[in-house]
Amino acid sequence: MLSKKAARAFFLVGTAVCSLAFVGLTVDTFNRIPAQTHAAQITPAVARGKDLWDHSNCMGCHTLLGEGGYYAPELTRVYRRRGPDFIRAMLRNPEAMYPGQRRMQNYHFTEAQIDDLVAFLRWIDGMDLNGFPARPTLASASPEVTATASARPQVFNQICVACHAIGGSGGAVGPALDRVGDRLQPDYLDRWLRNPSAVKPGTAMPRLPLTDAQVSELVTFLSHQRSEVRP
Amino acid sequence: MKFESQRVSWWFFATCMLLFSLQIVYGFIMAFAHAGHDALHAVIPFHAARATHTNLLVMWLLCGFMGAAYYIIPEEADRELHSVPLAKLQLGALVATGVTAIIGFHFNWWEGRKFLEIPRPLDFLVVVDVLMFIFNIGMTVKNGRRFTTTSLVLFFGLLSAALLYLPGMIPTTNQTHDSYWRWWVVHLWVEGVWELIMGGILSYLLIKLTGIDREVIEKWLYVIVGFTFLSGILGTGHHYYFIGTPNYWKWVGGIFGAMEPIAFLGMAIYGVTMARKGGRAHPNRTALQWTVGCSIMSFVGAGFLGFAHTLPSVNLYTHGTLVTAMHGHMAFWGAYAMIVLAIMSFALPNLTGRRLHDAPSAQLGFWASNIGMIAMTLAFGVAGVTQVYLERRVGMDFLAVQRELEVHFIGLILAASLFTLGVCCFVWNFIRHGWPVGEVLAAGASDVTPEEAARTP
Ligand code: HEC
Ligand code: HEC
Ligand code: HEM
Ligand code: HEM
Ligand SMILES: [Fe+2]
Repeated sequence: MLSKKAARAFFLVGTAVCSLAFVGLTVDTFNRIPAQTHAAQITPAVARGKDLWDHSNCMGCHTLLGEGGYYAPELTRVYRRRGPDFIRAMLRNPEAMYPGQRRMQNYHFTEAQIDDLVAFLRWIDGMDLNGFPARPTLASASPEVTATASARPQVFNQICVACHAIGGSGGAVGPALDRVGDRLQPDYLDRWLRNPSAVKPGTAMPRLPLTDAQVSELVTFLSHQRSEVRP
Repeated sequence: MKFESQRVSWWFFATCMLLFSLQIVYGFIMAFAHAGHDALHAVIPFHAARATHTNLLVMWLLCGFMGAAYYIIPEEADRELHSVPLAKLQLGALVATGVTAIIGFHFNWWEGRKFLEIPRPLDFLVVVDVLMFIFNIGMTVKNGRRFTTTSLVLFFGLLSAALLYLPGMIPTTNQTHDSYWRWWVVHLWVEGVWELIMGGILSYLLIKLTGIDREVIEKWLYVIVGFTFLSGILGTGHHYYFIGTPNYWKWVGGIFGAMEPIAFLGMAIYGVTMARKGGRAHPNRTALQWTVGCSIMSFVGAGFLGFAHTLPSVNLYTHGTLVTAMHGHMAFWGAYAMIVLAIMSFALPNLTGRRLHDAPSAQLGFWASNIGMIAMTLAFGVAGVTQVYLERRVGMDFLAVQRELEVHFIGLILAASLFTLGVCCFVWNFIRHGWPVGEVLAAGASDVTPEEAARTP
C-alpha cells in the first residue's frame, strides 16, 4: 500500500516538473506573441484605447477575446462586422444606434477618445486567434443566400443589418427590408437615408454617417428589393 | 474550541455572512437585467453590478479562508495564535479596502479586467493585508508544538494564493499579455492553490467529524493535491486557446485540462468514503452534510461541468457564453462557498457555546440552498446551450438571441429565490448562535459533551 512518504514525493515531484514545463512554455509563448498579435501595430492610440477600455470596464458587459460579461455582444471582430463609423456613432450615443434595446453605458467620450477606442478595436480585429470566433456552421449557407449577401453594399451589411432584417437575418429594431422597393420610391429613400427625422419627425431611425456615394449605392440596392410577381 | 485566540475567527465568519448576503442582492440585479428589466441602469449599470457581485464573492471567500485558518491553525499547531490584535487589524483593513473598492465601482473607478477589477492602488493594500495574515499564521505554525500535514497544506495554499496575486499586477499594453497574466491569478487560484486550501480544511473536518486516523486522511490529501498540480498547472492552457497565443496550447490545455476533474473526483471519493468508514458519529451532523456535500458538489460543478467545455473543439463554440456562467456558479459554490459554510457550521457551536447545529433552520439552509443552486445551474445551462446553438452555430444576431433567452432568466430568478431562502436560513442560524463566548476546553477534553456522546450511537 502507498505510504505517506511516497504520496508526498508524488506531490512534490509532480508539482516541480509541471511548474518547470509551464515556465518554459511561457517563455516560448512570449517570444511568439508579438508576431501572432501584430504587436508592431500597437501605436500610442491603440495603447490609449486599451487604457480607456480597461478604465471604463467595457468587459463588465462585453466579451473581448471571449473574456468578460455575457450581457452584450462579443467585440473581438466588431471592427470587421460594423465598421468604424458605426462604432463611432455607438460610442457617441449608444441610444442612437439601438433605440429601445438593452442599454449600454453612455460614457460621454470626447472625439479623441473615441478615435483611440476605434484604433484599439481595429488592432484587436487583426489578431490571429487560432480560429475564434468560429464560423456559424449551421447558418443558411445555400449558394444563393451567400451570393445575395455578398452582392449587398458593404455599408448595408455593416450598419443597416444591426437594426433591419433582410432575407430572414439581422436586427429587429426597424422593419424588415425585404421588398422595400415595392413600397418606397428612390427619391423618398434618398431623402430618408440622408436624414430620417426630417422626413418623419420623432422617428427612431438615427441619422447615419453615410457619404453621398454610399447613399446612392444604397438607394439603388433598396429599389431593387421587389417581389418577384409582377402584374 | 481549545484556545482562547480561536475566537477571532468568529469576526471573519460574521463578515462572510454580511458580504455574501450583499453579493446575492447584486446577483438579482443582473438576473433582472438579463430578463429585460434593467430599471437600475442609471444607478447600478450591469458592469458595476457584475464587478460588485464577483468581487464580493472573492472577498467573502478569502475572509472565510482566513477565518478557517485562524480556527484550525492554533488547534493543529497546539498553541495560541501569534497575535490576536494583528488578526483584528488585518480584518479591519481588508474590509476597509474592499468597501472602498466596491463604492469605487459605482463611480467608474476600476481596472476593468474581469475578476481583477480592483484599482491598482488598492491592489497594493490587499497585498500588504494578506502578508500580515500570512505572517500571523506563519509564526503560529513555526512556533507550534506540532507540525501536521493538514496545517502545512493549508498554510502553503494560502501563501501561494498571496504570491499568485502578483502576476495580475504586471502592467501590459498588449491585450494578449494582459489576459495571459490574468489567468495566472484566476485559473491558478481556483484550479490550483485554492484546492490546497480546500483540501486542508476538508481533511481537518474529516479528522474531526469521522474520527478516522490522521495518517490515512493526510496520505490521501497528498495524493489529491498531487493530482491537482499535475493537471492544474499546465491545465491553465485551456484558457490559452483563443487569446492570441500559439496553437500548441490547444494540445497542452486540452490534455491537461481534461485531467483536472481527477483531483475533484478524488476529493468526492475521499469525502464520501471517509464519512462512511468513520467510526465516530460526531453530533454535528449538519457540518458533516456540508463537508460531504462540498466534496460531491465540487466534483459536479468543477469536474463534470468544467470537463463539459474544456476540450478545444467544444470551447471554440462555448467560449465566453452563458455556459461558462453555468460552470462558474456551481464550481464556486460546490468547492469554495460550501467548504467555508462547512467549517462555519462546525466551528460555530464551539465558538459560541450554543449547540444549534441540528435546528430545523440549519437543515432547511442546507437543502434549500443546494437544491436552489442545482436549479440555477440548470437555468444557466439551458440558456447557455441555447445561446451557443442560436448565436454560434446558426449565426443569429446577439441581441435577437438574448431576447429568446429572457424567459430562462425568469427561471433563474425563481431558482435563485429558493437558493436565497436557504442562505437566509443559514444566516439566521448564524445570528441565533450569538456572540463568540464559548468556553475554552481543558487540554485533552473532547469537543463532544458527555450527553451528546451518550445520545449518538
Ligand atoms: C452596461 C453595459 C455595457 C457597457 C459597460 C458597455 N457596453 Fe457596449 N454595448 C452594450 C449593449 C447591451 C450593446 C448592444 C447594443 C444595444 O443594445 O445597445 C452594446 C453594443 C456595443 C457596440 C456595438 C456592437 C455591435 O455588434 O453592434 C460597441 C462597438 C460597443 N458596445 C462598445 C463598447 C465599448 C468600447 C465600451 C466601453 C467603453 C462598452 N461598449 C461598454 C452594453 C454595454
Ligand atoms: C439604429 C437602428 C437603425 C439603423 C442602424 C438603420 N435603421 Fe432604418 N429604420 C430604423 C427604424 C426604427 C425604422 C422605422 C422608422 C419609422 O417608421 O419611424 C427604420 C426605417 C427604415 C426604412 C423605411 C422602411 C419602411 O418600410 O418604411 C428604410 C428604407 C430604412 N430604414 C433603411 C435603412 C438603411 C438603408 C440603413 C443603413 C444605412 C438603415 N435603415 C439603418 C432603424 C434603423
Ligand atoms: C441569487 C443568486 C445569484 C444570482 C441571481 C446570480 C446571477 C448572476 C448573473 C446574472 C451573473 C452574470 C453573468 C453575465 O455576465 O451575464 C453572475 C455572475 C457570476 N456569479 Fe452569480 N448569481 C447568484 C449567486 C451567486 C453565488 C452564490 C455565486 C458563488 C458561489 C456566484 C458566482 C458568480 C460568478 C463566479 C460569476 C461570474 C461568472 C462568469 O463570468 O463566468 N453567484 N451571477
Ligand atoms: C473549483 C474549481 C473551479 C472554479 C471555481 C471555476 C470557475 C470558473 C470561472 C469563474 C470561469 C470564468 C472565468 C473567466 O472567464 O474569467 C471558468 C472558466 C473555465 N473553466 Fe472553470 N472553474 C473551476 C474548475 C474547472 C475545471 C476542473 C475545469 C476543467 C475540467 C474548468 C474548465 C474551465 C474552462 C474551460 C473555462 C473557460 C470557459 C470559457 O472559455 O469561457 N474549470 N471557471
Ligand atoms: Fe481554468
